[in-house]
Amino acid sequence: MTDSKYFTTTKKGEIFELKSELNNDKKEKKKEAVKKVIASMTVGKDVSALFPDVVNCMQTDNLELKKLVYLYLMNYAKSQPDMAIMAVNTFVKDCEDPNPLIRALAVRTMGCIRVDKITEYLCEPLRKCLKDEDPYVRKTAAVCVAKLYDISSGLVEDQGFLDQLKELLSDSNPMVVANAVAALSEINESSPTGQPLVELNASTINKLLTALNECTEWGQVFILDSLSNYNPKDDREAQSICERITPRLAHANAAVVLSAVKVLMKMMEILAADTEFCAGLSKKLAPPLVTLLSSEPEVQYVALRNINLIVQKKPDILKHEMKVFFVKYNDPIYVKLEKLDIMIRLASQANIAQVLSELKEYATEVDVDFVRKAVRAIGRCAIKVEPSAERCVSTLLDLIQTKVNYVVQEAIVVIKDIFRKYPNKYESIISTLCENLDTLDEPEARASMVWIIGEYAERIDNADELLDSFLEGFADENAQVQLQLLTAVVKLFLKRPAHTQALVQHVLSLATQDSDNPDLRDRGFIYWRLLSTDPAAAKEVVLADKPLISEETDLLEPTLLDELICHISSLASVYHKPPTAFVEGRSAGIRKTLPAAKPGVEETVREATVIPSQESLIGDLLSMDIGSTIPQVPVAQPANNVDLLGGDLDILLTGPGPDLSGGVQPSTTGLLGDIFMSTAPVKFNPPKTCWLPADKGKGLELFGTFSRRAGQMAMELTITNKAMQAMNGFAIQFNKNSFGISPAQPMNVGNVPPGQSLEYRLLLNTSGPVQRMDPLNTLQVAMKNNVDVFYYACQIPMQILFTEDGTLDKRVFLTTWRDIPSANEVQYTLNDIKGTADMISSKMTQSNIFTIAKRNVEGQDMLYQSLKLTNNIWVLLELKLTPGATTATLSLKSRSVEVAPFVFQSYDSILKA
Amino acid sequence: MGMLFSYFRSLIGAREMRILILGLDGAGKTTILYRLQVGEVVTTIPTIGFNVEQVTYKNLKFQVWDLGGQTSIRPYWRCYYSNTDAIIYVVDSADKERMGISKDELFHMLREEELADAVLVVLANKQDIPGCLSLKEVHQALGLEALKNRTFQIFKTSATKGEGLDMAMEWLSNTLKTRK
Repeated sequence: MTDSKYFTTTKKGEIFELKSELNNDKKEKKKEAVKKVIASMTVGKDVSALFPDVVNCMQTDNLELKKLVYLYLMNYAKSQPDMAIMAVNTFVKDCEDPNPLIRALAVRTMGCIRVDKITEYLCEPLRKCLKDEDPYVRKTAAVCVAKLYDISSGLVEDQGFLDQLKELLSDSNPMVVANAVAALSEINESSPTGQPLVELNASTINKLLTALNECTEWGQVFILDSLSNYNPKDDREAQSICERITPRLAHANAAVVLSAVKVLMKMMEILAADTEFCAGLSKKLAPPLVTLLSSEPEVQYVALRNINLIVQKKPDILKHEMKVFFVKYNDPIYVKLEKLDIMIRLASQANIAQVLSELKEYATEVDVDFVRKAVRAIGRCAIKVEPSAERCVSTLLDLIQTKVNYVVQEAIVVIKDIFRKYPNKYESIISTLCENLDTLDEPEARASMVWIIGEYAERIDNADELLDSFLEGFADENAQVQLQLLTAVVKLFLKRPAHTQALVQHVLSLATQDSDNPDLRDRGFIYWRLLSTDPAAAKEVVLADKPLISEETDLLEPTLLDELICHISSLASVYHKPPTAFVEGRSAGIRKTLPAAKPGVEETVREATVIPSQESLIGDLLSMDIGSTIPQVPVAQPANNVDLLGGDLDILLTGPGPDLSGGVQPSTTGLLGDIFMSTAPVKFNPPKTCWLPADKGKGLELFGTFSRRAGQMAMELTITNKAMQAMNGFAIQFNKNSFGISPAQPMNVGNVPPGQSLEYRLLLNTSGPVQRMDPLNTLQVAMKNNVDVFYYACQIPMQILFTEDGTLDKRVFLTTWRDIPSANEVQYTLNDIKGTADMISSKMTQSNIFTIAKRNVEGQDMLYQSLKLTNNIWVLLELKLTPGATTATLSLKSRSVEVAPFVFQSYDSILKA
Repeated sequence: MGMLFSYFRSLIGAREMRILILGLDGAGKTTILYRLQVGEVVTTIPTIGFNVEQVTYKNLKFQVWDLGGQTSIRPYWRCYYSNTDAIIYVVDSADKERMGISKDELFHMLREEELADAVLVVLANKQDIPGCLSLKEVHQALGLEALKNRTFQIFKTSATKGEGLDMAMEWLSNTLKTRK
């Protein structure tokens, strides 16, 4: 015996007592002891020291005792991973017990024990249970496979459990089918590659649909969820799926109903929208959704969040159901707000009168948040339903008369939007607004009011006084208000320069010298520079026509909306966030998307300009505050950029402009210099390669490449005479090629003396005969001179075929992207990426690859780019950049996908340049 | 007097005797357990963990624990030592290479204080396999002559053929009876 015995203190105390009781011969005593252990475990005492003793009670014919021991095991196996092995044999035996309850209990408990060391021993029993004669055991085992996959995915694949699961899909018992489906979808979601491991096919779908009618609510939800992940191969199949799940809409369980709605929404995307079938389906969808609104408030809220998505996707479904979304006095606030949101989405000319009178009611309620939203809703109705704008405005004016502080402020915010939407129509109310100037204390309302004053400075006689009064407390204002003030004063100055010079200088110095907000400073400097260089230009910039805002507000981005539609009836659809945003460690980036819709459906996708949120208001420069969705302006020619700003800066620094404090100057120039240095790269052309070596050309050596400058393609040639005699009489001819490239002029090369070389630029056009070549970009050339005719072939770098008008409107891009079937999508990995997304984007622009939009998704920059080939082939690209990584993923979609490899080549070479 | 007392005890249902079947993996412990319990040869798989069964032999009730013999499980044998009346130590007579390991495990176990009073039965199993060690050779290989102060006996058995087990159980039950 070693001295270690002094450290084992189990000779007395509760644990010791329990230990001896557990080892008692009497079964009753044993059971009591295990109960005590479980009780201690439940209240959080550590009874893991009893592990061996409890495990020894495991082999018993007493079901109650067995269940207790299993419960203990689930809890403590992880803390005693080595000792857990002693339980294995009992599991093995229990899985062969004559009692199916014990078999199922064993297999269920096994699945809950997450100890690597014993999982391999549990595969055999699991395999047997999957083939058990009792459906209860089989259904339990099915779930166990999913659990095992979570512990060790490799084991599940190696042991063929996936195939066994698949076989269970055709089980005779519907509950087994439902659990197998649930397990499979769980496994598919957590698959490390993001690719589903088990694909459903038409025959399994059929089995699922059969099982659907017979299994429990949960089973139905599982089955419906996996049906929603299935893409039917044709319309007929989609229709038959729809027909068979439509009865689920009448189910009493809200989860079943919503899951059925999800499947139908997805199938409707596949079916042509104009068919009678789809119209019928739309009609069928409304009543169950309405019914959900009569359940308890929590369920209502979930239903409303989902309906919010559905209404955005397919407004027609609920267009006649406006009344059910009217707010009841006893609705909880979260239901009220959500209903309000949906009301606005459903508002149309047909129902606007009703909606407005409701909203007016709401605006007099007591709950502040709700009232605010109601007032905002009135403004949104005005913007959405043009004929009703007048009524909305007068309603808002009525509300302003109430002088209720928050109502007034909210009203002013929305009136600003109405001014934007209907310029020069309702300005008569400005005087009423000005009366309430003093009561405004919220930044957004103040900013809106300041904007209104600046925008209509010419009509407000005392605009300068009003703005001046705001300036007194400039330093204390919110950044948003400061920015607006700056802009408004500049507008005022440009409109009424006579007496406002002092004011504008005051505000500019406030913004540039006293503020430490970089946005404000930058905006101040830009105005200052504009005003000091060219007031006319300043006028054009600052008072430019603003793009109109229109239609819906707060719409979800279409791709996000589509993704969320796929997640109806889940937490994602309640949060309105993709699952990846709030579930950690799940599905490495796979996102569900709606199937590509049939062509022709696209017209129904509505165009939406979204009123920007606060953040974008602040971020926006140049007083285009309100239109954050200005159609993408192609980046101007870099040369111009540099000139313009270079000149500007010079003037600013040397000229008599407003005095800038010395400390600020270098930093600004340095900053601007940096920005524009990086955006002015030289357009890339591939280096010349040898097309015709001297030994093949009888002394004539040709090096060449292609270029594109200012829309003009050219073949750049270096002609070297390595023969002993002069060469002349040059002529060139191209064979028919894929893009119809031909010389735009006869080759005009004179005499090339021996040993001399000369550069020649042959202009090209695309009016030649077209014949598809293989590879696509091959060009066969015949070159003639006084010696002989030589033939050679060269590869046209695809980028010289990218035209200058290859930029697409954002929305067109989006619809086109969705329009092109996914079979036409090609992926490519770019290596050796350097620089930021912006640098890459500007580099691309030089080569006529235009960035339509940029988005940051989970730390990755997504660039959406388009380009057009000379033969009018559009190519749409999505470039995914991870900051810091040297590789990037490029997805390409085009109707003529065969150009893809050559576009990829171009990307590679442009990025390497 | 002692005889009479134990006679009454067996009539009113004496305490269950606690017996451990130990030995290296593949020695035949589980086969022996079920041979004792149901009298038949059952197909077994390696025991990862333990089996426990009640065996009645001549009115004596035994609670027989068959513990797995894998290297990974042997450390946990000690969890089962307390209150043990007898140990049946099973040796694969044909497994000459591991005789040494078997010996080490045996003596390691016998050193345990909790097992000081336990009766030891060594079964030289698999005697039906040609070329296996004889009883005497097993005795020698295990170094049983070194055992002092221990009631023990060695038997040659073949669990699959059912030979020798009866004799061993006979001896064990008699020994246990007289000890009470």
